[in-house]
Amino acid sequence: MATQDDDTLTGAVPDPDTEPTPTELARARRFADLVDKTLSGRTPPAMSADDRALLEVATVIRATSGGLELAPSAARAAVEDALRQAIGVDAVGASTGPVMRAPMRRWAPWAIAGASALVAAAAIAMLWLRGPVAGPSVARVPSEWTSRPADPLVGPIARDRAGDASARIDAIFADRLDGFRARRLARGGTP
Amino acid sequence: MKYVMLGLLGVSLAALAVVAACSPEHDAPVTRPAEPSDVIDRDLMIALGQAKNLHRKARIYMTDGNLPAATAAIRQVLSLQFPKGAAEAEDVRNDARALLAKLLVSQGQIDEATRTVDEGLAQSGRESFFVANLYTVQGEIHEARAAAFDAAGDPGKASAGDERHAAIESYDKSIHINERLQKKLLEER
Repeated sequence: MATQDDDTLTGAVPDPDTEPTPTELARARRFADLVDKTLSGRTPPAMSADDRALLEVATVIRATSGGLELAPSAARAAVEDALRQAIGVDAVGASTGPVMRAPMRRWAPWAIAGASALVAAAAIAMLWLRGPVAGPSVARVPSEWTSRPADPLVGPIARDRAGDASARIDAIFADRLDGFRARRLARGGTP
Repeated sequence: MKYVMLGLLGVSLAALAVVAACSPEHDAPVTRPAEPSDVIDRDLMIALGQAKNLHRKARIYMTDGNLPAATAAIRQVLSLQFPKGAAEAEDVRNDARALLAKLLVSQGQIDEATRTVDEGLAQSGRESFFVANLYTVQGEIHEARAAAFDAAGDPGKASAGDERHAAIESYDKSIHINERLQKKLLEER
């Protein structure tokens, strides 16, 4: 059964000069409390449809009249959404954590570049301080295996032996043959 | 700003790449065999063997008194192919030139003998007992020239004196080379 309290939006509009009835005053005080609770974030979980409609109208009127400040959490969420859009992050899929603060965003690339430059400089310094690396070593072979001047073998040539080249070539051939054979034996018979 | 930062990163990465390329693993000491020209190989033994046989052949011809044949045999020694860089090649050729010059002098071919010695001295890359021997033979050639001028009588007296003086210079060069080489060999022992 409908009561007078339920026809607020559908009943006849009272004359503005008419004195409010006690019931209307009580309803006005209750609605004022409801509006205050809503503005302070303590909206009742259940209310009548008329109260909800009136509450939405009251909220719009208050917002359009100016001087309305967003709650800190709402303001922070709006700023973070704007920043995510600015850096190309999906505002919907992004985590709800705070976006990197601006000073850190500004200095992080420089910090990375500086650190890598320092690492490179340290590596170059290590290379410099390490000193020369020993070059390729040549396997030493016995001197008798090598081709070399025949002076130690022949010695000074006396004038009366100046034309005795045959004896000297015999000595050179025999000496080099010894070296050739020794090298060949050391290599397992391969020349 | 962004490009400066990217440049810094690029330079750093390049420096690291250079350091990595120069790491000890890349230039670790390796053992490589001696160069082929450093060792006595088959080619050197073949050349020495041919020189030995040609000298024997020339000796037989000399024993028989066939000096032109002996000269031809020794000339063949000068055309032997030795391995590139073989130190024995210069010694063997200079020794053959010394014998060849003596053979030419004995056949009266003094100018040819002089040319043979001069070519040997010009082609020598180092001092050796064989170079000293060439100077000795050069002195003998000058003595032979002096004897020829003496045989010509009074007109050749001055030239004979010059040749004897040149012979002394050649012998002095031979002596100095022998002294330096002997001293060097003693120091190396």
